[in-house]
This record gives sequence, structure tokens and C-alpha cells, in this order.
Amino acid sequence: MLNFVVRRLLAMLPVLLAVSLLTFLIASLLPGDLALVILGDQATPENVAALRRDMGLDQPLWWRYLSWLGHVLQGDLGRSFRTGQTVLQAVAERIPVSLQLMLMAEFIGLLIGVPLAIACAARAGGAFDRFMTGGAFAMLSMPSFLTAILLIYLFAVELHWLPATGYVPFTEAPLANLRFFVLPALTLALAEWPGIMRVLRSDMIATLQEDYIALAKAKGLTPARILFVHALKPSSLTLVTVTGINIGRLLGGTLIVESIFALPGIGRLLVGAIYTRDLVILQGVVLLVACGFVIVNFIVDMLYAVLDPRIRHGHA
Amino acid sequence: MTKAAAVARMCVPIFLVAAFALATPAQAQKSGGSITVGQELDIPGFDPLKVGVYDTSTNTAAAAIFDTLTTLNDKGEPAPKLAVSWTHSDDYKSWTFKLRQGVKFHDGTPFNAQAMKENFDRQKNPANKCRCAFYITNVKEVLAPDDYTLVYNLTDPSINWPAVITIQSSNNVIHSPTAWKTKGDDYNRNPVGTGPYILKSWSAGDRMVLEKNPDYWDKGRPYLDRIILKPLPDAQSRFASLQSGEADIIWDDENDADNIMKAQKDPKLTVHTYKGSGAAVYAFNTKVAPFDDVRVRQALVMAVDRPKMSQAISNGLSRPATNPYGDGSWVKCKDDGALPFDVEKAKALIKDYGKPVEFKMLVTATPRGRMIGQVLQQFWKRVGANMEIEQVDQATIPSRAFTRQFQLTPWRIVDLADPDPQMYANFRSGSPLALSNFSDPELDRLLDHARVTADLSQRTEDYCAISRLINKEAIWFWTFQNTYYALSSARLKGFPKMYNGVIDVSTTWLE
Repeated sequence: MLNFVVRRLLAMLPVLLAVSLLTFLIASLLPGDLALVILGDQATPENVAALRRDMGLDQPLWWRYLSWLGHVLQGDLGRSFRTGQTVLQAVAERIPVSLQLMLMAEFIGLLIGVPLAIACAARAGGAFDRFMTGGAFAMLSMPSFLTAILLIYLFAVELHWLPATGYVPFTEAPLANLRFFVLPALTLALAEWPGIMRVLRSDMIATLQEDYIALAKAKGLTPARILFVHALKPSSLTLVTVTGINIGRLLGGTLIVESIFALPGIGRLLVGAIYTRDLVILQGVVLLVACGFVIVNFIVDMLYAVLDPRIRHGHA
Repeated sequence: MTKAAAVARMCVPIFLVAAFALATPAQAQKSGGSITVGQELDIPGFDPLKVGVYDTSTNTAAAAIFDTLTTLNDKGEPAPKLAVSWTHSDDYKSWTFKLRQGVKFHDGTPFNAQAMKENFDRQKNPANKCRCAFYITNVKEVLAPDDYTLVYNLTDPSINWPAVITIQSSNNVIHSPTAWKTKGDDYNRNPVGTGPYILKSWSAGDRMVLEKNPDYWDKGRPYLDRIILKPLPDAQSRFASLQSGEADIIWDDENDADNIMKAQKDPKLTVHTYKGSGAAVYAFNTKVAPFDDVRVRQALVMAVDRPKMSQAISNGLSRPATNPYGDGSWVKCKDDGALPFDVEKAKALIKDYGKPVEFKMLVTATPRGRMIGQVLQQFWKRVGANMEIEQVDQATIPSRAFTRQFQLTPWRIVDLADPDPQMYANFRSGSPLALSNFSDPELDRLLDHARVTADLSQRTEDYCAISRLINKEAIWFWTFQNTYYALSSARLKGFPKMYNGVIDVSTTWLE
């Protein structure tokens, strides 16, 4: 097992290096001059040239990359030229919001997806199964900004049940905090449950055809007991993986959802950085998020290896 | 005799405006309560050395936390704020302000001429490399001859200086010197002014809570106990927040025409709009073909159907402009020399030119930029001119414009209380901002004359003559006037004019 962990860790290094290079290139190759962005509309060419020199923007790209990477390795991801905040400070302030949003979205997604998957698998090919599979496709094709606006109009403007926008920290007012998160989390969850449902449904259909299920049926166990006790657990392996990876993938969704619901999370930070061309924040956040994604994948791999020994011995 | 004393001696008093000029007519103002303001952008901070230039959202917060020396009254004339009166030298190059006494910053530091001078020196100091410094290059120095006298010495005459310094820009709001010295890097997010509200708390990307300044110099004000400023970046959910009562007033613009129209029909909401000065403008590079020929420039201007364009981009809310001043400016022209919309005449001019008219136009790579480009492209195609849209990043436009690497570029004339600073920069021969590369002795004479003339009607005539000359030569053209919007709950009263698009809620109350 240790051997496997070390092998996987070593394999991560080139990935992380590639991530850092790509992040740096994306930010460097975007059109527009950083010096000009900082100095504003009415800067003189001399001022721009001077600032470019100060910031090392007149140096070759490889030199700038290595110098940036050197700073990153020492934990210095730079400082926003707009707010003067360091990237780490900015991310530390925002990450709890995004994590809460993603966890709640995943939780609601599972809450909708898992029972539906079980119900569909129980009568695979039946009317309910066909209807839900079709419905899942329809939900997958619904863009989250549209879902968000519809939810806001229904629950905030028309019914006045939930707030349209806003945020309070959980530590300040737990109930109010949850109220603010319901609509954004639901928006993300509505895009999540179809995936969860489809994965679990097909795994359960396969499990339900195993011999031991036939045996359980022969022993006269109730259908509910067979479904929840004997079939659900062995069918959940893929679901665990998918859920883990989804949390990383959800970050993409938070870009839109956090902006619409005015939640001060990582997604908003990133959108703001793009909008104001705050390349230092942009570069830093993308790097951290990408690294987070690589690490989540690593953890999922580890979990998989724990659950299925064939994988760590390279037989699968 | 000190230099300041010499300046003061040659000063001729013209404005001696009484302190009570600010007082609004008696209305049923109510004290207490709290409102939430929905803004478009996150506020980056307030230290000019860090943020350089304030955006609209920052200006809105700055209007509550800070004061300026002067303000604009309802007629658009300069009125006292931290300065109670002012005088100027004969040549309008030196302005002396008498400051209000007994005012204190929120941290207890006394407000005086020395504090004011330190604010200015800090921005101007080349070692601080503030990008805010660009906007005060015309100020040679600021002197504090005594505690309550402040002297601005300018490099060029400025006839309307007290109006120019009214907006809540990073240059004009006055910070506590003690605060920036003791807080260092943290000052940016811990601003201290003399304004009606004090910063209580601020969580990044979420909310800024401002509380009433109990020691505010303008007794009886402000009325509201608390103001909460929230960035709500999405226009749809910002409007939904207003409808559902989470926000009491929100920033809006013509891009969001549907919601503005919805609000106009809703009795629970009030639409505040301000017809500003300035306009959305476009500059031809007159040194390159085909724009080195006046016939081509005139033809293109005559082919633009502004009402139709307004319909296409903002459901008809955009107000056509035929000069650079706008309805909010004091410059009102009987004749601004606007070229008429005339497709046949435009076709004839292009035919007369005799060569194919093909050119590239810069537009911003935004949905709005693209749309404007496409609409203009259609207008011009109709009269026989082929325009190719060149989409560039917003930040690329200034650098291309300054280096004159364009044939036709969009630009803007922002709201200022006086047209001089922008008109002089945009049209005087040799100015780095004179994008058209157009030089005309008569235009220069008019610009020079307008900036040193005290007589308002004479200045109006000068600026109208400038407009006639620019329109006739078609070196720039204007599409729409600057217009600002805020939508609020009908309970919010006392909302002032949105000068420069700033939502100043420091004079409002809840009914």
C-alpha cells in the first residue's frame, strides 16, 4: 500500500507542475497589458513602461514563470493590485462560503438522486423509471443561471419564503445562514441529481441481477430490505467516487451561482478578478483550485484502493 | 511675505457662498432606520495609493464616509461643504478656500488645512506612484498658510475649480492623515473620513456596514442610523432583491432596460434617473485614409440613425447626443452644428469621395460592444462603406488610442461639473488625448478662451462654437448622452441628483 501511495504521489508532481505552467500561461497570454490595467485609462506610455520594468513584465516569459513559481513554492502567491490583499488571505476569507455551498448542494443532490435511483432500479424499465430517466436528461440540459432566476422569482419575489440574495456567516446566525444557502444550493443540486441518479440506478440494476439477490428473494426477504440493505451498499462504490469528484466539479457551477445569489465565495472572487482583470488573484485562485482538484482526485484514488485491493496491485 | 499671502492678496472674491446654502427646504425628514444599497461591484478599498481611481460603487460608499471641500447644489452650482467660501486670483490660477472650523475626522483627528495639504501631497508625491496623480497634474501645489486657509496653485487657469473638485473621486475625498499613517497597508480597508457615516464592519465581497456619525458637523444630519452596502453583481437578482425587500435601493443602467421599465410601472418602486453631462463618443483618426477626407467622416456621421440604435441596444432608453455636453451640463446650445441624419446625402458624399471606403473600427469584446459595432456596421453598409469590427479587450483600447493605432475608436466623456478639463484634453492641439490628430487654430483659440473667461454666457458661446466646429469637421461623433439610474423602494425619500452616477444616500430617510 505504501508503495502505491508513493507511486501516486510521484505521479502527481508532473501534473501539478503542468497545472502551474498552464495557469501562468493563461494569465500571461490573456490580451491586455497588466501595467495598463493597473495604471488605468489615462496612463502615459512612459508610466506604463516604467511599471512594466518594475513588475518584470519586460522579461522573457520563461524567466517570469520561474520567478513566479519560486515565489509560489515559498507560499507567496502574490497580492491583488486592486485591494492589496494577498491571494491566500482572499481565498481564506472566501473558501468557507464555497465549501458550505458545495457540501449543501451535494447533500441535496444525494437527497433527491439516491431515492429516485432506488425507485427506478426497483422497477427498471417501468413507467416511473422511463419518466425519471427522461426527466434527468431534461434537468441536465437546463443551464443553472436559468434555474437560479426561476427559483428566485418563485421563492423570493412571488412567495417571499426565502431571500433572493445575501449571506450571513453560520457562526453569527445559523438559521439565517441556512436560509440564504437553500436557493443557491438547490440550484446546484438540481444540476447534480441526474448524474447521481443515473450512476446509482445502473449500478443497482446490475447488482439486482446478482445471484445473492435471487437468494435473498428466495429466502422471502421484503423488497424494501433487499433494496436498502442488500443492494444499496454494494452498488454505492461508483457513487462514492462520483460524489467525491463532483465536489471538485461543482466549483465550476459556483462561478455563476455565487454571482447570481451574491454569495461571497471563491466563484465570486474569480469572476470579480476576471471582470477587473486582477490577474494576480486570477492566477492564484485558479492554481489553488486546480491543485485542490488534483488532491481530491488523489484522495478518491486512495479510497478506491482501500475499497478494492485489485486497484493498488495494478490488476484492474 | 509668504507666497500664500501674496496669492491671497491678489485674490478677488467672487464666490462667497453662505454656509446655509446647502440646507434643503423643510420637509418631513424622519430620523432612524436602516437601508440596504445594492451595488454592481465589490468595493476594492479606499486608499488612493492602492486603488488609484474609485469606481461607481466606491464613489457611493465614499459619499457617506468622506466629505469633499465643495459640493453641487440642486442647480448644479458649487456649494460649501468642508470649505465655507472661496476666492480666486485674476488669472484663475490660484484658488483660496476658507475651511469649516471645529470638524473632526471619525478617529478624532482635527480637520484643518494641514490635513488637507497632506492628502494632496501624498497623492502627488512621485515616490508613491499613485495612478490618482494623473488627474491632479494641473495642480502645481497646495499650501496651508494657516489652519483654516487652503490655497490651490494651478498650472493652467481653471475658471470653475470649486465645481471640478465636487465629485467623490479618489482625488477629492479627504482622509484622516493619522489613520493612513498608523494603519499602513490596512488603511485601504479601514477608511477614516469626516463624513456623515462611520465604517462599522466590512466583510469582503459581502457587506459594508456604515453607522451614523453622531458628531457630524451638519447638525440634524444624517437621518438614517445605518446604511448597508452590498455588492449584488447580477442585474436580475439585484432587481429581485429590490422587489422582495432585501435591498432598498439598487444601482442600474440602460443595459437592464426591461427591469427599469418594470419598475416604472410598479407603485411600490421609484425610478431615479439623472441626465448627466458627457456622452458616449467615437474618434476618427484624421491622419489615416479614408478618414483624412472630411467627406467620408461626414458621410459616416450622417448615416447613424440614433433613435433606431437606441431601440436596438436599450429598448429606446438611450438618449441621442448631438454634442459632447449632455442635458446635465450647464452648456446649452441653440445651435450645436449637428449633422442631420441623411442617408441620401451620406451616399452622395461617399460617391463624391470616389474610392472604396473600407476601414476597421475598434470595439470592446463585450456583448454590448459587439452589438454597437454591428448596428453601426449596418448603418454604414447602407451608404456604401464597409466597416470591419475589430474586437479588443477593454484595457487595450486606451493603449491603441494613445499610440494612434486605430482608424475609429470608441471613447467616453465622463460627467464633470465643468466641460473644460475634458474638452481641453480631448481637442487642444498637441494633447496626448487629442485622439483625432486634428489641429485647428480656431479650435485652439476657442478652448483657450473658454478656460479663462468668467462670463458664463460667453463660455457657453465658446463651447457651442467648439461643438459646431467639431461637428462640421466630423472629427468625433457622439451617440448617446450619459444617463444614470437607481431604483428604490417608494418609502425612500430625499434622494439627491445622481451627479456622476453616484448613489449618495447620506441625505435620505425612510417614510
